[in-house]
Amino acid sequence: MSVLGCSRHVMKQASIYRAYATTTSYVPPAADISEAPSGPHQKLKPGSPSFYTGRQNYQDQIRGLESAANLSRLALKKMHLLPLPKFAESSLPPAQTAWKSKITLGGMIGEKLNTSRYRKVTSILNEIDELRRIAQAAGQQTLEESIADVVSMFEREDKETVLARGRRKPVKFDEWGRSYTVGKRKTSSARVWIIPVKAPPPPVSSEAGPMEAEDHAAEAEVTNEVTLGPNPNHSSEPPIPVTTSTILVNGSPLADYFQHPADRERIVRPFKIAGLLGAYNVFALVRGGGTTGQSGALSQGIAKGLAAHVPEVQEILRKSKLLRRDPRMVERKKTGRAKARKAYAWVKR
Amino acid sequence: MPISQTNQLPQNIRESRLEPLNFSVFHPKVLKPDTKPRALTFLYEEKDALRTFGVPKNVLFDFRLYQRPLSIVRDVTISTVDRLQTASGRSSASSRFVLEGASGSGKSYTLVQAVEYCYRSDWIVIYIPRAIKLVDSSTPYTYNTRTQTYIQYDAAFQILQRLLTVNRERIEGLTLESTAAYEHLKGLKAGMTLTSLIEMGLKDKTVVMDILAVVMEELGKQKSRPVLLAVDDFQALYQSSQYRDPNYQIIKSYHLSIPRLILEYASSKRQFARGAVVGAISTANPTYPLPLELSEALQITPPTPTGPWSKRSPTYIGYAAGLQPLHVPEQLQLSEAAVLFEVWMKHKTLHTDATDQLFLSKYTEASGNPRQFVHTGLLQTLET
Repeated sequence: MSVLGCSRHVMKQASIYRAYATTTSYVPPAADISEAPSGPHQKLKPGSPSFYTGRQNYQDQIRGLESAANLSRLALKKMHLLPLPKFAESSLPPAQTAWKSKITLGGMIGEKLNTSRYRKVTSILNEIDELRRIAQAAGQQTLEESIADVVSMFEREDKETVLARGRRKPVKFDEWGRSYTVGKRKTSSARVWIIPVKAPPPPVSSEAGPMEAEDHAAEAEVTNEVTLGPNPNHSSEPPIPVTTSTILVNGSPLADYFQHPADRERIVRPFKIAGLLGAYNVFALVRGGGTTGQSGALSQGIAKGLAAHVPEVQEILRKSKLLRRDPRMVERKKTGRAKARKAYAWVKR
Repeated sequence: MPISQTNQLPQNIRESRLEPLNFSVFHPKVLKPDTKPRALTFLYEEKDALRTFGVPKNVLFDFRLYQRPLSIVRDVTISTVDRLQTASGRSSASSRFVLEGASGSGKSYTLVQAVEYCYRSDWIVIYIPRAIKLVDSSTPYTYNTRTQTYIQYDAAFQILQRLLTVNRERIEGLTLESTAAYEHLKGLKAGMTLTSLIEMGLKDKTVVMDILAVVMEELGKQKSRPVLLAVDDFQALYQSSQYRDPNYQIIKSYHLSIPRLILEYASSKRQFARGAVVGAISTANPTYPLPLELSEALQITPPTPTGPWSKRSPTYIGYAAGLQPLHVPEQLQLSEAAVLFEVWMKHKTLHTDATDQLFLSKYTEASGNPRQFVHTGLLQTLET
């Protein structure tokens, strides 16, 4: 009895000290009382079932892309192109894709994309592009074009430019037929212009007419040059005049700029290996580093230029590593060592 | 002892494995205007001009390497020979020229060829292959109050002795006509032969320089034979020497007796009635670079940058006036280089196969320069 009496007392006490804010009872606000449906209760249907995800546009896009992927897979399966055996998969041409950026894609879809959603979109696009490549490799042009229509909407406008970044650009020739290439070694760089040597006019043969007797004498004086002797098997062939390569480095002849024979040989080596001695003249501007670096840079520049003029020679120059930029650079000094590798004298105590 | 005699062994310690190479001999008859480049040997016998006077150090080095001393006849040789032919009938005042060109282009060799050509054409030849030796304070000197110059008696003795050895037969008929101009010299008689005059000078070093001057004067008066005065390291005569006077001041080259004599002939203050004065610039010794006055007289770009405010000595400008440049081309023509290549190939000095590729690659590396082609290219390479 005393417990009940206590509880009644507690409750009476509690009613004095209320723990809630309002004294009146809560009434929820009436939503659109004026637009309350007059008839039986009707709700507006959302445009798509993904309305309730909160990211309708994104989900619709994903669904659309997935259905496109499925349709493409189905078409390829019908042609027995899927699933591909491993050897065929590895021999497919590599993917060369450049999708629109996250912001652009977000604008296209109509919703801001975060990184994970963007990655989801691009992963599906990559899958579709792989199917397109399979169709292309199989020669199915119509299927490939229809898949490409889907995918091309999502590709960047400057796709070619982006893909060409980092790729070796073809060497251009100017109006005089000169190539311009750059070579580097250690900290030196060389800018090389190569132009073919103009072959001198061939000397007139002895069976020419009487009018050209003066030309004989004139040419005998002028062309005091070495000529390859006539082939004993074909003595009617005219002798071939031999031309020489002139190499100018920073305005000076090669022998003036590089005194050491090793440097000079390094520079002439691309000509020797390509077999083009005497065929091309070289003008180069070299800068930075010392003699070895500059001669190495010049050698690479000349090799690149020769490969541009005579593409057949590229293979042999590549095999002889003349087209390669020598990656060796001066190693840095480390703490605790006298030089890069040299250690201080070891002391027992 | 002259360098040509110092390190020759008395007998061959091993037989030569080289077969005798038959190059033609250098002779004026063989040097025609339309001659193609070829290698011609010098006879190089005892009492010949090149053997007696000597040759520059770089030429001597090559002569030691060859089986027999030889040189390549180039276009510049033919043009030099043409000029000498024209000069043989005229006074030396109108035939004073200087061989100039880039380092290693062949100036000394061309001068050697000119000396040999004149010697074989019966000229009277006086050749000083190393004029630096006259100004580098290596020979004794003493001041002479009469001429107000420093007499280099040992050098004068050597030149006079060699002059006699080389030209003995050619000066046989020449005599001293009058001694009026030579009152300072005792013992001179009118009618004495030049040979006896020279022998008198060789006996007494106190008068040797005066006798040399008299002999040169007499050679200048005669018209029976043209006279060639050839000097290599010509640029060394146009700057201060390394001699010092008693106050330790540097002596200018025109205050030394023999350089003064050469400068006077080079500037036509003294002349030969028939003949020429030919000099050759050398870039071998950087102590004696090409001086500004000489470079301007020869219309060559000076080696160091100069301008209107650079110091020019009027005396040297006077001594350089009227000198004509004879340019030696920097690049060998391909046919000349081919002949040079063949010479070294036949001497079996190449360490690898003698291919067209070796020839063209070394020519390209040397940019056509003769010295770079032979010494740095063919003889120093390790490439195959």
